[in-house]
Amino acid sequence: MPDTGSFWIRARQVCAAVGIAAGAAAGIGWARDPGEFGFSYLLAFMFFLSLGLGALFLVMLHHLVDAGWSVPIRRVLEHLAMLAPALALLFVPIAIVAPQVYPWLAMADHPDAALESKRWFLNPAFFYARALAYFAIWSVLAWRLRAWSLRQDRSGAAECTRRMRRWSAAGMFLFAITVTLAAIDWMQSLQHHWSSTIYGVLFFAGSVWATLAWIFLAAAILRLIGPLREVVHARQFHDIGVLLLAFTLFYAYIHFSQYFLIWTAHIPEETFWYAQRGAGGWRGIGLWIVFGHFLAPFLLLLRIDAKQSMALMLPLCGWALLMHYLELAYHIMPVLRPDGFRITGLDMACLLAIDGALGAIFALFMSRHPAYPIRDPRLQEALAGAGTPPVSAPETAAEDA
Amino acid sequence: MAALRSQPLVAPDPPAELARPPLILNRRGTAWISGKVSGIAEGRAPRWWWAAFLPSAGLTALCFAMIAYLVSTGIGVWGLDCTVGWAWDITNFVFWIGIGHAGTLISAILFLLRQPWRTSISRAAEAMTLFAVICAAIFPVIHLGRPWDCWWLFPIPNANAIWPQFRSPLTWDVFAISTYFVVSLMFWYVGMIPDLATLRDRARTRARKLVYGLLAMGWTGSIRHWRHYEKACLLLAGLSTPLVLSVHSIVSFDFAASLLPGWHTTIFPPYFVAGAIFSGMAMVLTLLIPIRTLCGLEDVITVLHIDRMGKVLLAAGSMVGYAYAIEWFTARYSGSPHEIFAWENRAFGPYAWAYWTMLACNAISPQLLWLRRVRRSMAAVFLLSIAVNVGMWLERFVIIVTSLHRDFLPSSWSYFRPTLVDIGTLAGSLGLFLTLFLLFIRFLPMIAMAEIKGAAARSGARAHGDPDPPGGLSG
Repeated sequence: MPDTGSFWIRARQVCAAVGIAAGAAAGIGWARDPGEFGFSYLLAFMFFLSLGLGALFLVMLHHLVDAGWSVPIRRVLEHLAMLAPALALLFVPIAIVAPQVYPWLAMADHPDAALESKRWFLNPAFFYARALAYFAIWSVLAWRLRAWSLRQDRSGAAECTRRMRRWSAAGMFLFAITVTLAAIDWMQSLQHHWSSTIYGVLFFAGSVWATLAWIFLAAAILRLIGPLREVVHARQFHDIGVLLLAFTLFYAYIHFSQYFLIWTAHIPEETFWYAQRGAGGWRGIGLWIVFGHFLAPFLLLLRIDAKQSMALMLPLCGWALLMHYLELAYHIMPVLRPDGFRITGLDMACLLAIDGALGAIFALFMSRHPAYPIRDPRLQEALAGAGTPPVSAPETAAEDA
Repeated sequence: MAALRSQPLVAPDPPAELARPPLILNRRGTAWISGKVSGIAEGRAPRWWWAAFLPSAGLTALCFAMIAYLVSTGIGVWGLDCTVGWAWDITNFVFWIGIGHAGTLISAILFLLRQPWRTSISRAAEAMTLFAVICAAIFPVIHLGRPWDCWWLFPIPNANAIWPQFRSPLTWDVFAISTYFVVSLMFWYVGMIPDLATLRDRARTRARKLVYGLLAMGWTGSIRHWRHYEKACLLLAGLSTPLVLSVHSIVSFDFAASLLPGWHTTIFPPYFVAGAIFSGMAMVLTLLIPIRTLCGLEDVITVLHIDRMGKVLLAAGSMVGYAYAIEWFTARYSGSPHEIFAWENRAFGPYAWAYWTMLACNAISPQLLWLRRVRRSMAAVFLLSIAVNVGMWLERFVIIVTSLHRDFLPSSWSYFRPTLVDIGTLAGSLGLFLTLFLLFIRFLPMIAMAEIKGAAARSGARAHGDPDPPGGLSG
């Protein structure tokens, strides 16, 4: 990479320094209270995992629908998805403290009635084996998709596009299965008495929503500092904004479906999950999710020109990431802190530790490879008329009346 | 920060094999399109149209006869009993309402996603939506037992001191479906105005001039008209998109809001929506594959269009397969004996034949669409679409009847068998649907002419000198 090298080296150093310092702080927290550390770390881990998975999904979707507009942002998403092997390593602390976090792991030898009936799925050996399988699948998918994309940077061959499509086709199936099971394993099974068939879709919807906010921010920053200046234009921002609006609605729809059906049926074995989250300080967090995760972004994103306004979109995307963190906390933290939500130093340390580690690797990727797929066959299409956002569908051709 | 600039931009031409294929074949121009599409609604009806219309009209008559018999006699003429209080009636309702969803998907969601290939099929799919909703609306009314009291469902405060039960999903259905129908109708009609004006301008008889003239509402094709038109289409697309999600979600609430194992499950809303789009897309294919040949529209509804619809079918079918899998998984995971029983009864109970047929039709057979050869074979896609139609009808039957027929008291278990009235009403509703659709292609522009002309321009259309094609449906 010619001249962005020094920037990425500095970014890598800063991220690594933050990661090491925060990691040390988190380590102290681990030594003092493994249980509390486990929850704080799990929350931070799920936050970054959801971004990586969201990126993997968006890359595969791009190939499956043969998209053109998203070519300029695809490499950044490929790098983000390619953090999967690093996330596998970062899962090790969770694997170690799991018995302090997942009650069912601690009672594996003396299960209650609820656990007895699901021991075929919730047992230690299968739990760890599954985790291994998830990371293997995500890593291979992200690796192959990026490898073919990088190969196309050199050859520009159509064969690479075809290969990426094939990987995406198979990958989408594996993705749907693994993400669902991972959400059940690592979040839903915190309360193993509770289950919801929509849970995997809920985690998926929130993950993609947050990833879209992240990629908007990333594209804006990379455009500002240089690497994407010539390829990311109004059209890309508009389209990410449209998808963000769509997923704002989709997420709200999915969470509403779950909440509403549990509320209306009023079966105690289901309602306890929401009853716990409707008590104490968690009630307020629930309302923040309704208004901050759905209503405010929905209203702000409705207008077509809103998606072009950086003054609106950049804070909104930052806000979306915060809301996503809060939403994951709503799923995970009531088990540890039933009284209400609070952010502790340990939470921040875990977040920064993982952020630093992943940020350093991301900077390394960015320094090594072109910032966008430079010879992708659809790049030309992405750049055609790129300055003007599509306000209405272009296919209605008035002049042909 | 200037030092951080990346290398200079070079956007290569795509290799020939990845070039976007034309949406209109043989460089058909605007005159050809106007002549061809209008000709279908102008010329004499060909034999095949009558051959399809007469049996359909006969079945429609059967439908009304069955309804008259039902209303005059009572719900007992169906195969229902105390245990299975809902069977084919609600199965047919959910089946038909689901069929409608593909129209909205194609016209609204693909519009918002800027998929220009939708223009060739959108009009027919939207019409199909309306006719399917009409067929669907029959069943909740006639299943009431006292259908003359169906107006109780409408919010007419104070009338006879009747208040709708707003906590019942059946009441929500009334709102959801009527809103959906009205918005779909507006979308369909607004989109058709420029084409109605074309028919008006081409009309040779006074009656046609008058009728199409009234329907075209004074359209002249001015820039101002087009601007309003495009804005209206965009807004209606934006409104229709959440509606399409809400309608089938609310239909799913009819079941999921209950306590019944097999019905009460949180995945139902998105699962129903995916299933609806799946079945609707299958019905679009079932209708359009023969029609494109019979009307000579192969250059407009091309193999590429069928290929793309096949991909949507594959995606929706896979989502439905996911829902089947997660239902099984969660039943096992929950450990609830009732949930496990409900699932095992479906898969291995007396209705196992329906469950496995459903699974084969909906989750397994669409996987053939991974193969490009299958997606591009009209016969294969047509057969698959029929399989999906059958499978999706069975899915609703499986959900409704297998969850009911073995309730919590084994002494009240039963096995539902349809009567001739059940069968006649379903066949009759199919006749009504086909009758309406055949009338539509005979009298209204079945392809969005004005819109595909835009696609034609990009497909390298010949501008002038294109001879008018012969009129009539047989093209």
